[in-house]
Amino acid sequence: MERDSLEVDVLFVGAGPASLAGAMRLRQLINKHNEEAEANGGKKLDEITIAVIEKGREVGSHMISGAVMDIRPLEELLPDFRERGAPLESEVTVEDVSYLTRRFKIRSPIIPPPLDNHGKYVVSLNKLIRWLGPIVEESDVMLIPEFPGAEMLYDGDRVIGVRTGDKGVGKDGEEKDNFAPGADIFAKVTVLGEGSRGSLTKKHVERLKLDEGRNPQVYAAGVKEIWELPKGRVTPGFVMHTLGYPLPNDTFGGGFVYGMQNDLLDIGLVVGLDYQDPFTDPHRLFQQFKQHPAIAKMLEGGKMLYYGAKTIPEGGLFSQPKYYGDGFLIIGDSASFLNSQKLKGIHMAMKSGMLAAEAILEALVADRYDNETLRKFETLVRESFVHKELYEVRNFHQAFRHGRRWGLIESGLQYLTGGFGLLGDLETEAGHEKMKKLHVFNRMPKRSGEVPEPEPVKYDNQITFDKVTDVYRSGTEHDEDQPSHLKILDFNICINRCTQEYGNPCQYFCPAAVYEVEESGGGRKPKINFSNCVHCKTCDISDPYQIIDWVTPEGGGGPNYINL
Amino acid sequence: MKIIVCLKQVPKNDSILRINDQGNWIQDRDLTYEINESDAYGLEAALQLKEKQGGEVIALSLGPARVQSVIKEALARGADRGIHLEDPAFDKLDAYGIAAVISAAAKAEGFDLLLTGLQSDDYGFAQTGVIAAELLGLPHATIVMDVQPGDGSLRVKRELENGYFQWVSMPAPAVLTIQSGINTLRYATLKGIMGAKKKEIKKLDVTALGIDKAALAPRMEFLRVYVPQKSKQTQFIEGSPAEIAASLMEKLRNEARVF
Repeated sequence: MERDSLEVDVLFVGAGPASLAGAMRLRQLINKHNEEAEANGGKKLDEITIAVIEKGREVGSHMISGAVMDIRPLEELLPDFRERGAPLESEVTVEDVSYLTRRFKIRSPIIPPPLDNHGKYVVSLNKLIRWLGPIVEESDVMLIPEFPGAEMLYDGDRVIGVRTGDKGVGKDGEEKDNFAPGADIFAKVTVLGEGSRGSLTKKHVERLKLDEGRNPQVYAAGVKEIWELPKGRVTPGFVMHTLGYPLPNDTFGGGFVYGMQNDLLDIGLVVGLDYQDPFTDPHRLFQQFKQHPAIAKMLEGGKMLYYGAKTIPEGGLFSQPKYYGDGFLIIGDSASFLNSQKLKGIHMAMKSGMLAAEAILEALVADRYDNETLRKFETLVRESFVHKELYEVRNFHQAFRHGRRWGLIESGLQYLTGGFGLLGDLETEAGHEKMKKLHVFNRMPKRSGEVPEPEPVKYDNQITFDKVTDVYRSGTEHDEDQPSHLKILDFNICINRCTQEYGNPCQYFCPAAVYEVEESGGGRKPKINFSNCVHCKTCDISDPYQIIDWVTPEGGGGPNYINL
Repeated sequence: MKIIVCLKQVPKNDSILRINDQGNWIQDRDLTYEINESDAYGLEAALQLKEKQGGEVIALSLGPARVQSVIKEALARGADRGIHLEDPAFDKLDAYGIAAVISAAAKAEGFDLLLTGLQSDDYGFAQTGVIAAELLGLPHATIVMDVQPGDGSLRVKRELENGYFQWVSMPAPAVLTIQSGINTLRYATLKGIMGAKKKEIKKLDVTALGIDKAALAPRMEFLRVYVPQKSKQTQFIEGSPAEIAASLMEKLRNEARVF
């Protein structure tokens, strides 16, 4: 079968808030430009094609976030979003910031200013994107789900498009009857909006050394569930953030509980992936969080409906790669446009996409798509609220490098000094380099060869659920007859080094039970249940040897998130 | 050969289902949808027949605006055009009503073959195709695994019980209900998706079809939908292997009554 190829003018990779807002904004700007050109007799832009490719089965199926949202960019993009029935859950009505000890919840008498969510909205990003997709499509943007970007296409170092993934490849790499090779999509500008730890972005940044001189990116993993509670129990717009239990002092993160419409409660835990203990397991910590008396009480009589997990780029301003160059731009989470202090990224993702659209319009008008022309994107970012917000919190995550207690003090000082803090601008360390070996925790494998394991958690199927049960609630599906999309570069390291040094932490950090280590015939053997993968990328980030490479599976595979 | 293939949009397999407030069906909020499984095999069978014989494949679906996505998917995979049957009067149809609407549309269109899936993944009646054949006054075959068209006639392979098959010869035009898993489903290609945007989807309502609304009144009604109560029990039998075997035989004979 012949490889399809397609030429478009602008190609966005990943149909999340950044790309959708960017693509729609670009169409609006082109229309406006053409109207003005018509009136003034200027030169019109003819037949500009804008496409967005997406690995999920539908636009929206891989969308997951907290979320409390700053809706300014939505208002800017679609002033009539209310008339069009935007599915905002509720304006924030009740706020609660609390510290959890093992047994008690201590509510902060004031809401710390960065967590003041007055005027913000509780949203389900999933619902929002499922709603926005068709509106963007109507505005004359091609949305192409089930086509993951598998490879960047280059001419020298200039980006000229993306090759999508092959379909119909069997588990041993053989072509099946319905084999369909990936398509080459050529574009004047390729915009990477793949989200956190994008698989193309990762390789592209490496190739062009776009992160040279920047801080390494640091990530957190968020796991969450949506619960249906007895009628009338949930206050839409209720927003609670917690610090403390169950996270140890040296682990960054916290819990959240948000009230949605229709008796749904959104509950989750964010865990910094720059932890030290190799047994750290975000899903397991989340189960402990739900067992806390104050949280368990909220969930009483409820039913868990949906589950999902994602990673969050926490590094901020200094971890941003150079996000423009010959033929490409990087937007949203992929370029670390996220305010980790305010726990918000959707507004920045959208705004970064919309600013990218402005830069692309200029490039289209000039018919030049090189580094110098696309640098305009950076100029626009620097003039916008995006840069201001990122600048104010530029040292936030770093403040927690010595643990939570000191972090709270230092981040408070930063707040008072416009982000400067005590020591000025701080560096970060990549999360996987902070992980400590087993012996540091006194957990050496025994002489008998017996490998230490963390204490098991009790799953009661009322409040707590094991990973497999939760994954079922994420709607995740991959065709089993395809090669694993989790490439282990060297299995020997897993068994010969990792078992001894870190105790195979992939079993713990993965929130979807993808990784197992099987004891078979006197030996240990890794087993990869790739069809469980919820596409969160934690493994690609947290593996201490960096030998797990997350590549795109066959298009349409992955979670089928609803309400998350 | 002109083939009409009926595609039903059903809640996605493995959806988290919740019962609605009236307790008579599932909540339609928070669902995602897909093509009914056996219908997808019907579409593939139609596309393969067209590749061999030439002709035309028409993708037909009945339901609200959202079902256009299954028609578009069929067009992207290679169907030539679509028919979308949409009317508020089609909201709560039973199998007879659905078959009445489909047969009216199919009759107006004219065809050599009308394909449906064996049954729908949501209701599971397995009646729509059969009733449509009756209303059209045409022969039909169910659980079809292979179709060999001849001159004004067909040979079809049907699945029977216990691994038996049956070959049936019948005159065309005819109505066939297609079994799942009989072929390998193709993927929509990028070219196919682009091409689908230019293909026609004809929308037909009660008036266009000339159907008397009264004739669509449901002959069947759902009274209650509920989650079955768990009746399965697991027992552990202890003892020596001989004792376990004896006890197991006794239980199979007297409690489970499998002999």
